[in-house]
Amino acid sequence: MTSNNQHQELLQKYAEAIVKVGLNLRRGQRMIIDNAVAQGVPPAGRALVHEVTKAAYAAGARSVEVIWGDEVLNRIRLQNAPEEALKEYPTRLVDSVLDYIKNGDALLSVYANDPDANAGLDPERIGIATKTRLEHRTEISALITRNAVNWCVVASAAPAWAKKIFPDLKPDDAEEKLWQAIFETTRATESDPIAAWMEHIQNLIKRGKYMQAKKYSALHYKAPGTDLTLGLPQGHRWIAARMPAENGVEFTANMPTEEIFTLPDRHRADGTVAATFPLSYGGSLIDEFSVTFENGQITKVSAKKNEAILQKLVDTDEGSKRLGEVALVPASSPIATRGHLFYNTLFDENASCHIAIGRAYRFTLAGGEELNDEEFNAAGGNVSLNHVDFMIGSPQMDIDGITKEGTHEPVMRQGEWAFDI
Amino acid sequence: MDSQKFDRLLSKYAEVVVQVGLNLRNDQRLAIRGILEDAPFIRKVTESAYKAGARYVDVMWTDEPSARIRMEYADDEALAEVPDWILTRYEEFYKRGDAELVLNSSNPDLMNGIDPDRVAKSRKARYEKLVGPLRKYENDANWCVVATATPAWAKKVFPNLPVNEAQEKLWEKIFNVCRIDVPNPVNAWKEHTEKLEKYRNYLNNKAYSALHYKAPGTDLTVGLPGKQIWGGAQESFKNGITCTVNIPTEEVFTAPHREKANGVVTSSRPLNYMGTLIEGFSITFENGQAVKINAKKGETDLQKMMELDENASRLGEVALVPNSSPISQSGILFYNTLFDENAACHIALGNAYRTSIRGGADMTEEEFAAEGGNTSLLHEDFMVGSGEMDIDGITEDGTHEPVMRQGEWAFEV
Repeated sequence: MTSNNQHQELLQKYAEAIVKVGLNLRRGQRMIIDNAVAQGVPPAGRALVHEVTKAAYAAGARSVEVIWGDEVLNRIRLQNAPEEALKEYPTRLVDSVLDYIKNGDALLSVYANDPDANAGLDPERIGIATKTRLEHRTEISALITRNAVNWCVVASAAPAWAKKIFPDLKPDDAEEKLWQAIFETTRATESDPIAAWMEHIQNLIKRGKYMQAKKYSALHYKAPGTDLTLGLPQGHRWIAARMPAENGVEFTANMPTEEIFTLPDRHRADGTVAATFPLSYGGSLIDEFSVTFENGQITKVSAKKNEAILQKLVDTDEGSKRLGEVALVPASSPIATRGHLFYNTLFDENASCHIAIGRAYRFTLAGGEELNDEEFNAAGGNVSLNHVDFMIGSPQMDIDGITKEGTHEPVMRQGEWAFDI
Repeated sequence: MDSQKFDRLLSKYAEVVVQVGLNLRNDQRLAIRGILEDAPFIRKVTESAYKAGARYVDVMWTDEPSARIRMEYADDEALAEVPDWILTRYEEFYKRGDAELVLNSSNPDLMNGIDPDRVAKSRKARYEKLVGPLRKYENDANWCVVATATPAWAKKVFPNLPVNEAQEKLWEKIFNVCRIDVPNPVNAWKEHTEKLEKYRNYLNNKAYSALHYKAPGTDLTVGLPGKQIWGGAQESFKNGITCTVNIPTEEVFTAPHREKANGVVTSSRPLNYMGTLIEGFSITFENGQAVKINAKKGETDLQKMMELDENASRLGEVALVPNSSPISQSGILFYNTLFDENAACHIALGNAYRTSIRGGADMTEEEFAAEGGNTSLLHEDFMVGSGEMDIDGITEDGTHEPVMRQGEWAFEV
């Protein structure tokens, strides 16, 4: 149990790292804080938002604006609104964020979401509302996937989320334990979090450079329930922890981050992959599922829980039947070794190798920012309303890199890096 | 109050707001504005609204601590910036004739200790960017203003109670003065609005040319436009919906003539102007124009408020409320105009409602002014009534007739 003072101090250090490392906010920049899924930051994120806002002003922010949302209201709507009215989406939720991005300002997403926010609701109705949101936010997504500005995704503890992770603890204890996990995995507990982040970022960059130099033509995954070959297109770029945005700011898009990732070829995925973690998607948990690919396309999904929601996700559009990201994370990552799920992609994806259904990041392909959608698709990129990561790694997973000549080289063995840097 | 009882009352309150306050129609959209502390009530209203057939409920939240942090730290120039998307959002809903609910539960001391110049700068920008351009929609569609008992506000009203108890007590008072804690609140509201309409009709028949106010510190004559319409309890909108735009409401009101106020008026209760308290103030008028002010507290803020634009120092509303109203009888100072204005006769600086002058909704600003109507970005009510106030109606031939005596209605309806 930490005291209030300790908690407040850690919260401040975390907020400072978000502003200085995550966003690397520039003097005179504006910042908007949002949460697309909940239609604004849930009230549970208030304490963190207040500290981040103060840290941003201390770093010279011109102004900070927060879009707030309430998952309970979203649930009431999904339960009660006329079905055709689920296709409504207020323009303010798009106009606000675009106002900032188009002006070169920073975007922060703060998660404080309940993984079960929409539990038990009709998947049809959830599907309509989700697709409507994604369609309305297409322009925002397009700008983010090309890193138009410095952006970052972080999380705040929240009562419902903490209860989901630690169901046996009292609510206050569960929330405090989740905060502790967040502070530790985001290095806020280090004496100098910013220095610790810079060192961590350098290590990830070295992994990325190794993989970049190899220019593998494919990766082969082998694990219980998984036998999958993923092609990597020519010009694929491995990304690690730090990226330059088009507004000239170098930033770290996720905190925590333990991954290096690149672009899989949308035309070349073959085999079956079994998820190793449940997937929290738009307020629903999809669990114990596997996905089969032929020539890059998903031909079959099965899930023990919420299969209908998974099928809706895959059926969203053509790009949702294909992959847009492949990421490598050792099974010994500090998030994995905590030994519990987070039911939140921001954390769980950093505990495990993962792949993403849907939209690819333009910056994972050399010159990708300059291509139109058709050209990007032709080069192996993927365009979609969705970008949904799901976890496939485990200590039982082996990954080979396959060279142009067809030679297999070990990349990971039993979930760990198989090469030295 | 146990939590079940509270939940039941909160649901009834939401029902009254949706049915009486908004009179929401099937398939209407509802735009809501509130602070995060309003969430439990807004959720109830949202549920009631969808059950009444609402098509979409959009809530635009404000976080008061964030607003204060901005006022403390944001770049001086940025304080005067209001992003376009906020205006667009209002227009999107207003142009379609959607309903709007505004929650008015703010912390009266939110901006305490902040440089008044910065606060004024930010307010002025919001008035110019939003309040002015959006005023043209105010008679289009049903809207309503209500409040919830939020912790900071409750603590201000009951400073000697721990915050939980203060909040519970404020809820009890709100449920009481808003007629929620009766067996059938919707019926109780029907009776109440019918009664207010009778007072309104009496004053409309009389068509007084002026009102004369007399009380300690007050000796004020307010000329009326001649084409004034007394309103109250219910308003009718261009989308055909009639509803009760304030809950609670105890007033009947009209527009004064913008050039015919003469004398001095002393506030009988403090004014909470967007987070700042202005207390113990008097204003002297000559030919409608405020020529002198003084205040025990917040004089600078009052001055700045009245300098918002040219007509912010003229009157835009006179409202009559008996001293025996439930809000007055509660003996509580709410530090919230929505409540305090229903405890006492009040007048407003700034804008007049177009609907308070016959044909006003279709007049140009010049025509409206020629009829005595005032146009301003400001509309700020302040309390002048008390148990010691007498008001006379002055007929066209100069006869004085009693309208109120010692704060009570002086005629039967």
